[in-house]
Amino acid sequence: MAEVLGTFEQAVLLAILRLADKAYGRAILQEIETRLGREVSAGAVHATLERLENKGLVTSRLGSGTPIRAGRPRRYYQVASEGIAALNDARATVEDLWRGLRWPLKGNA
Amino acid sequence: MRTSPPRWAEALLRLFLKPEVFASVSGDLLEQYRDSVHPARGLLRADQWYVTQVLGFVLRGTRLWAVLFAAAYVARTAFDWLRPTTDFQTRSEVSTALAAGILLASGFWVAWRSGSFATGAAVGLATTAIAAVLSIAGVAVLLAIWHDPQTMAAIRGSGDLEESLVLPTFLILPGVAIAGVGGLLGATARRLVRIA
Repeated sequence: MAEVLGTFEQAVLLAILRLADKAYGRAILQEIETRLGREVSAGAVHATLERLENKGLVTSRLGSGTPIRAGRPRRYYQVASEGIAALNDARATVEDLWRGLRWPLKGNA
Repeated sequence: MRTSPPRWAEALLRLFLKPEVFASVSGDLLEQYRDSVHPARGLLRADQWYVTQVLGFVLRGTRLWAVLFAAAYVARTAFDWLRPTTDFQTRSEVSTALAAGILLASGFWVAWRSGSFATGAAVGLATTAIAAVLSIAGVAVLLAIWHDPQTMAAIRGSGDLEESLVLPTFLILPGVAIAGVGGLLGATARRLVRIA
């Protein structure tokens, strides 16, 4: 069975997939902030990326630096096949949970 | 006009990151600082933003140790209040050894990751400062639950309430020293492993 993903881990993995070959730390953070509609700390994103890499769900490589970064390299991320499997499992689980219910739900408030 | 974040904040960030990721992570923060935060918010607020981001990394590196340290302190306090004694020596030896062990481990672990000799002291400061807040809050919760005459007498017998609330802040300086020793050991061990 694939790795069980938390919500923020899914957000990071999906951001990497959307960004494709432009998926480096700052771009991933901006993508997540846009999708979630709120500010996200760099520490949260980098801690999640490290955890995902330790689990084998993403891989990374160093790219070149730019003048605005004082020449410091960008680290680009790619989703590994195990990460794809985990995302598919997460989506299937949500689909199972919602089966039979129509979104958006209407409450009695 | 300066267009880079405070150097001390970047130096603090280096203490809490693995060497192999420091360049890319600090580069990301620098890019965001120069590209969007500084133009939008100005120098002072951009610096505030950067320091907040760095403190986020510090918190992630120390919060577990701070929680453990505070839990040990609150547990010892609860024991003194609910199981009063006249002979505190054994309890003191156990709780002191536990606290020192947590601080040594925290400094060792984070310095092992960063490879920096200075990391331990920074970890000790952050851990004990955060733990002080948690410990004082924990003691307040204990007092809210237990404040019957018997417990109040036990509190007076163990050094009074004032000691329970103030002691966590007195532990900061020794915490810096002990975690500093742990950091020296951790950074040294990392270098030895690399050489081997």
